[in-house]
Amino acid sequence: MAPSLKEARWFGMIDKPNLEVEIAGIKLKNPVMTASGTFGYGEEFSPFIDLDRLGAMVLKGITLKPKRGNPPPRIIETPSGMLNAIGLQNVGVEVLIKEKLPYLKKYNTPVIINVSGDTIEEYVELAQRLGEVSKEMGVAGLEVNISCPNVKKGGMVWGTDTKVTYKIVSSIRKITTLPLIVKLTPNVTDIKIIAQAAEEAGADALSLINTLVGMEVDIYSRKPKLANISGGLSGPAVKPVALWLVWQVFQTVKIPIIGIGGIIKIEDALEFIIAGARAIEIGTANFVNPRVTMEIIEGMEKYLIENNIKDINELVGSMKI
Amino acid sequence: MNAILNIKVKILSKEEVAPNIFLIKLLAPSVTQDALPGQFIHIKCSTDHYPLLRRPLSIHRMDKEKGRIYILFQVVGEGTKLLSQKEVGDDLDIIGPIGNGFNIYPESRKILIISGGIGVAPLLALCEESIRQDNEVRVLMGAPKKELVIGEENFRKLGAKVDVATDDGSYKRKGLVTDLLEGIIKEGWLADQIFACGPKLMLKKIVEVSLEAHIDCQVSLEERMACGIGACLGCVCKIKTRDKKEGKVKYEFKRVCVDGPIFEGSEVVWDD
Repeated sequence: MAPSLKEARWFGMIDKPNLEVEIAGIKLKNPVMTASGTFGYGEEFSPFIDLDRLGAMVLKGITLKPKRGNPPPRIIETPSGMLNAIGLQNVGVEVLIKEKLPYLKKYNTPVIINVSGDTIEEYVELAQRLGEVSKEMGVAGLEVNISCPNVKKGGMVWGTDTKVTYKIVSSIRKITTLPLIVKLTPNVTDIKIIAQAAEEAGADALSLINTLVGMEVDIYSRKPKLANISGGLSGPAVKPVALWLVWQVFQTVKIPIIGIGGIIKIEDALEFIIAGARAIEIGTANFVNPRVTMEIIEGMEKYLIENNIKDINELVGSMKI
Repeated sequence: MNAILNIKVKILSKEEVAPNIFLIKLLAPSVTQDALPGQFIHIKCSTDHYPLLRRPLSIHRMDKEKGRIYILFQVVGEGTKLLSQKEVGDDLDIIGPIGNGFNIYPESRKILIISGGIGVAPLLALCEESIRQDNEVRVLMGAPKKELVIGEENFRKLGAKVDVATDDGSYKRKGLVTDLLEGIIKEGWLADQIFACGPKLMLKKIVEVSLEAHIDCQVSLEERMACGIGACLGCVCKIKTRDKKEGKVKYEFKRVCVDGPIFEGSEVVWDD
């Protein structure tokens, strides 16, 4: 009888394929990361998974000062997805450093901090502060959120304008040597020029997509279902949009791309990698299945073995057209 | 707080106890072991991506010896509809037990439990525990009509005195459950603690009445929920907090899932 995959590996009959990737100079055990805002500060998921097995953890978006967030209702379910308008509720960078990061120090998984600000100065100050403590607290890199759809200053989202994108990223680049991942919004006419602006400004990698702006209406009260009126759409419903944008950006920039958008099973993750993503972030699926990251890591290894691919990097951007 | 598990549990029985209201019994010894009255489990109702999110449902009753939990729920949408269509013997993917649970003070002697509609769900387990702790328990139940008064006999069997009000007067007293509350206070039966679960407007009124009567009141809240484990910050409610320095009343958004679902009635801001 032929040995099962597990037995074959156990007896050394199959070489373990390589799942390691490098993003923005950060070495990841595998390409599976968590998407900001869907994984809390990491600890929330420790009853369900071994955080040590993740490629990287991206924590809940942080700002310089604590943020109270939007009033409820903040979420509403939609066909194969959900809308959220949390409004960046977070504990602020000092509490993050003092109370949240120490817990993660015992893990050997890179911790990436998603940062947001109301002004360029706030982004810079935040990056500076995290830079100061990065060695001691184990901050591996920053994901710069220029794309939150639920918090707007003067009605504008930073990441919809090439000049503003360039200015924020270059301002942060000047004051930190930490790896910079810039998270892009899909709510633009042409994502390629925003991606280029971020690359030229010194981004080490790009992550995309953030949520798509949407809303739902209660037909009886005729009120919007979210207190914030609009929210960000995520979940399996957005996957084709995200894939298309990843493919577009992959053809435009040289820096690595992290694919995000509706990944809920291994096939989704592989689609993103084939379309050009070197790593992926799993978001909304964490809410449905807290073990989904582990299942996707396992599925990735299985796929590589079954298809005789020795290194996941061979798969990146290998789409045949 | 006890450990939250993500496990598959078997459906042992299912019964439609009233129109569109179902009682299911689950074999879940590992959950039952540590579960507290007022906690809930987060259930995956679909087998595909629609509906995508889990549904948070209160633990109605638990049988710690046999390792069983009972879930009482009303079909209100796609998720609960799918759940009502599950068969005995099916496995359910659940996360739980989640939440803080009701806090029965050891010094309490008299407890008043108030339910509105399907809000009765977490209160039977609470009644059982209150009686186990030697409290005198009275229960006030409110429902739109006779068929939607759920489990009155179960409370009586435990030894509680039960009063019922229906909106249309089709059963017992015509009126609101808050009328019963005002009556019971006038009558001079003063509880040490009030526990309530039901529609927001009802809870708001109960808290007002209990504050006037200087009775400590805990309410079970619900909000639309995604993760159920404290990560997404989707299910928040507005809670008063005191500024330590100035003594000023402020508020913050707290998570119904893990900071609640039970809150001190006096701390809830109802204006939204």
